[in-house]
Amino acid sequence: MTPLLEIDNLRVTFDTRHGMVTALDSVSLHLNAGETLGVVGESGCGKSITALSVMGLIPQPPGRIAGGSIRLNGEDLVGAEPARLRSLRGSDVAMIFQEPMTSLNPVLRCGDQIAEAVMLHQNVDSARASRLAVELLDRVGIPAPAQRARDYPHQLSGGMRQRVMIAMAVSCRPKVLVADEPTTALDVTVQAQIFDLLNEIQRDVGAAILLITHDMGAISEMADRVAVMYAGRVVEQGKADDVLDHAEHPYTRGLIDCIPALGRRDDTLREIPGVVPPLHLLGDGCAFASRCAHADRRCLAQKPVLTKWRHHPVACHAVEEGRI
Amino acid sequence: MKQPTAETAPAAAGDPATAQRVESPAREAWRMFSRNVPALLGVFLLALVLLATLYGKLFYGGDPFEIVWAPYEPPLTTPSVPLGTDYLGRDIVAGLLTGGAPTLTVGASAALITMVIGISLGSLAGYYGGWVDNLLMRITEFFQVLPALLFAMVLVTLFSPSLWTIAIAIGVVSWPQTARLTRAEFLRIKELEYVTAARAIGARNRRIIWKVILPNAAPPLIVSATLTIGVAVLFEAGLSFLGLGDPNVMSWGLMIGANRDYMLDAWWPVTFPGLAIFVTVFAVSLIGDGLNDALNPKLRGR
Repeated sequence: MTPLLEIDNLRVTFDTRHGMVTALDSVSLHLNAGETLGVVGESGCGKSITALSVMGLIPQPPGRIAGGSIRLNGEDLVGAEPARLRSLRGSDVAMIFQEPMTSLNPVLRCGDQIAEAVMLHQNVDSARASRLAVELLDRVGIPAPAQRARDYPHQLSGGMRQRVMIAMAVSCRPKVLVADEPTTALDVTVQAQIFDLLNEIQRDVGAAILLITHDMGAISEMADRVAVMYAGRVVEQGKADDVLDHAEHPYTRGLIDCIPALGRRDDTLREIPGVVPPLHLLGDGCAFASRCAHADRRCLAQKPVLTKWRHHPVACHAVEEGRI
Repeated sequence: MKQPTAETAPAAAGDPATAQRVESPAREAWRMFSRNVPALLGVFLLALVLLATLYGKLFYGGDPFEIVWAPYEPPLTTPSVPLGTDYLGRDIVAGLLTGGAPTLTVGASAALITMVIGISLGSLAGYYGGWVDNLLMRITEFFQVLPALLFAMVLVTLFSPSLWTIAIAIGVVSWPQTARLTRAEFLRIKELEYVTAARAIGARNRRIIWKVILPNAAPPLIVSATLTIGVAVLFEAGLSFLGLGDPNVMSWGLMIGANRDYMLDAWWPVTFPGLAIFVTVFAVSLIGDGLNDALNPKLRGR
């Protein structure tokens, strides 16, 4: 079966003050119909760039898709005409943003924003679109949807706004839903509600979800498969349960260790020492080597390639050599 | 802001409990505006000026160019010329009532021209950036470094003074500021997430410019537009004062210009049209501020 969305060997570069940097390097991901792929990593790992690439929203310039392909149902989006991309956006691929406070147009009523999205892709008049907007608000669990449709975004809470975003994103029953940290800006209790809603919507609409997150908890709750990204590369990939239970890459292990467990009586929160290196300072070796307890000379000199050694594909010399 | 269809939203229409909540944006803005005392004062003053300009002649006839009395008759001395006469013996009240229309027409049309040119060029430059921005901003700077009054004078003298040439001249020299303001707002707003979100639902550039960015850039532009009306009124008065107005049309500026040489001997022929201009510009500014508060939804309910 060909996957619904197939990202193959994608390379995205940006022109910066430090010269050209590679934000994504040989990224290959695929997403089957109806499944959820989690993409995890810290800030600056290329998760959001991946999301924007799929949407065809990489700011160009300074950004540039320097190689590889993104195929939706076999159609390559990288070389597609802007008009074609625009007609796919919102209808076939839709996106939910991280910050519901700023991702809704503040001067348009919520209902009108959803109605606009509907009218862009469906041949309906504005009265019908408004009714559909109210139905969608009802569908995403907003109480008194007809009244909320007449509210401005600033009159709603963060969770409600994210529901409005979701209603807008699913208004045209997209095949792929890109969710870029959809719950990061929300309260924990609201996070769970939003995840439930996304799961429900997914069953309803049959959309595949590309879930961008830094939260391993979100992965375990939502994702069927997971790809761990570090410094613009995929370093580990596999079924979500498999990766969570048998994390191999030291970075993945670090991320999992960072989840604070209730009842663990440590005084300190665990962390991965150091930060993601600036992209323009990446050398020849493994990008994680400077923060890795298992790094040796080979790690500093040669980039590991994503290969299946034990459970699932992982890009790590230490795993390959059996040192961890 | 337009609100095409929400009145037809099914639940809202039937449920009486929601009837109060359901209010069009225009009504909401009006509610804010009507609580704003300075803005209402502005409306009152401008209404007064407009009524006097439109209907004053019905109650107070008389040709403003006609010599009706001795020159330099001071105000409040002769019932037939309540505010006195100018250096030729023309009735000042007749001049005030007739002179408003050209001044306001020129002011409003000049502001309209300014906003149309300024917003079009500024939004294109700010939105598209790159070479479009460079080209448009160099053109803007070219117009900006020209001394506005001198340039307007040149335009008016080249194309014989009439209300239209004056309005166009004022528009042509005033748009660069509006263009720069619009560009700055576009540069700021186009980076915001809701613009990316609009792109993510498949909106076209045109739609993003007009329906997403421009409404969000509106508050400073509305204030700027009203201030531009004020500036244009002053500009028209200035040109007339320098003798470059349309000499066949009695305007407030022309009244001041014609009487300026005798200002020290007779204060009233320049003071009353001056006050009329002041009140008009003041009223327009108050309304501009009030609109700014009313149209910014984030300030609502405070």
